[in-house]
Amino acid sequence: MTSPWVHRFALPVAILLLGILALASLGIGDMRLGPARIFAGLLQRDELAATVLWNIRLPRMLVAMLVGSALAASGLVMQAYFRNSLASPGLLGVTSGGAAGAVVMIGLGWASASIFILPVAAVIGALLATGMVVLLARRGASTERLLLAGVALNALLGAVTSYVLSNFTLTYERNARILFWLLGGLEDRTWEHVAMASPIVLASALLWPLGRPMDLLSLGAREAQSLGVDVKRLRRSMIGLSTVLTALATAVAGTVGFVGLIVPHLLRLIVGPEHRRLVPLTLIGGAAFVLACDLIGRSTGGLRVGIVTSLIGGPFFLWLLRRQA
Amino acid sequence: MTALTVTNASVPGRLDNVSLSLAPGMLAGLVGPNGSGKSTLLQVAAGLLPSTGRVVWSGRDVEEIVVAERGLLASWVPQEARFEFGFSVRSVVAQGRFASGDDEHGVDETLRLFDLTALAHRPVNRLSGGERERVLLARAVVTGAPLQLWDEPLAPLDPKHGLEVLKHAHRLTNAGGTLLFSLHDLRVAYCLDFVVVLHEGRLRAAGPPEAVLTPELLFEVFGVRAKQTAGLTLELP
Repeated sequence: MTSPWVHRFALPVAILLLGILALASLGIGDMRLGPARIFAGLLQRDELAATVLWNIRLPRMLVAMLVGSALAASGLVMQAYFRNSLASPGLLGVTSGGAAGAVVMIGLGWASASIFILPVAAVIGALLATGMVVLLARRGASTERLLLAGVALNALLGAVTSYVLSNFTLTYERNARILFWLLGGLEDRTWEHVAMASPIVLASALLWPLGRPMDLLSLGAREAQSLGVDVKRLRRSMIGLSTVLTALATAVAGTVGFVGLIVPHLLRLIVGPEHRRLVPLTLIGGAAFVLACDLIGRSTGGLRVGIVTSLIGGPFFLWLLRRQA
Repeated sequence: MTALTVTNASVPGRLDNVSLSLAPGMLAGLVGPNGSGKSTLLQVAAGLLPSTGRVVWSGRDVEEIVVAERGLLASWVPQEARFEFGFSVRSVVAQGRFASGDDEHGVDETLRLFDLTALAHRPVNRLSGGERERVLLARAVVTGAPLQLWDEPLAPLDPKHGLEVLKHAHRLTNAGGTLLFSLHDLRVAYCLDFVVVLHEGRLRAAGPPEAVLTPELLFEVFGVRAKQTAGLTLELP
């Protein structure tokens, strides 16, 4: 049982940590900037710093934070929905669905027509994937069933992506974009991507009031219904929000794995399972985690963020499986 | 007015045209062999499982009551619960106040009533079966709902906690509440106000136990022979 001390300080500590990481994310790079120059640059008082910050680092930092919040929150909601702490958008194939949607659009050459094409295609792909998981693995399904459904779906959607890669006559540029999606990264993110990902803020805000009913649902749907939770409506909101969150994150950064698994899990270990606490902490923690992974990647010779999260997430997942057994 | 009326409820393959009604303040037992439809009937009565029939709580059709209000009127306890997450005992019991705006009214008193005070901060996924059952019962009772529907509450409990739960059940119904619960111990059923007997999804009999639980019926429904003997009697000190 976590102490009231932890409850009181978890949120301020998380915000402080995020602030430090944000500052580091703005400061570290080919041109190192100290806090003073960062502020001068943000206020346009230092022209060189301003160019680096406003054109490169600020959009990248914001995209990293939005993607992290979205994926972590999406994982939290899926875990409550499926009543299984191993559920997450990546393992269940929802991320692959979003990526497949985006890749098909790029393959067809339609992605450049409007900035809305990719996010919309990702949302459709992710919704289809979610629909299939819901059909394959019923709520409260065993870990085995859930993970097997995810394996099947990931394989199927991977085949769609491979088909696009191999059978469409693609230009080098399109192939590069598709590879970018599959690996997941934050390179060359612009304000356009920040705008694309901005609905994440709205979706996160809509998640806020669901914390308490999610507590009840995570202990059983019939029980929750009997206690006065409108389970049908709650489930619709949960699945809709978590899918949209994953899809938007995937649309701007590609498939970044394991964030939705690691962040809620660690936070649950620290502050306990109550969603009213977990929702805000997960949004902040997810942002901090992806920022940290991006920093690790940048300071180790440009490892992509998706590779870093997977290098951390893979062993973490195996540890969780062992712990469950 | 009746507290609970179920009319012509059928659920394909599980429940066949069951009708019953309970008066307010009644402590009623639901008995029947395994697979006779007890759990299904309780879920239908709780408005959780759709059936072809009609369910009415204190004169109001359940279909016409919004979900949020249902939580104030009836409470259902499942036969068993799987807790994936480590919520504390106290926070799970406090979930019973969800429909009342999470006001935590009566939570600590109910924890005491169900002998859970010492376990209040223990994660529910680290409890024994009997402890878990008491958490579920406390959560149902703390709602203050006048209609209580419990699925085999006594099965996982030790003798003392079983007797205490029966004592709370009597207290609830003496205060005007209505309780229908399923059970297998026919000797306990014999001490209740009212007994409902299900057999193969159909209502076999309903009424005061001495009129319903006859040796002929027990033999026909359960395949056992009833004999009056001076056995062991247990009671709370």
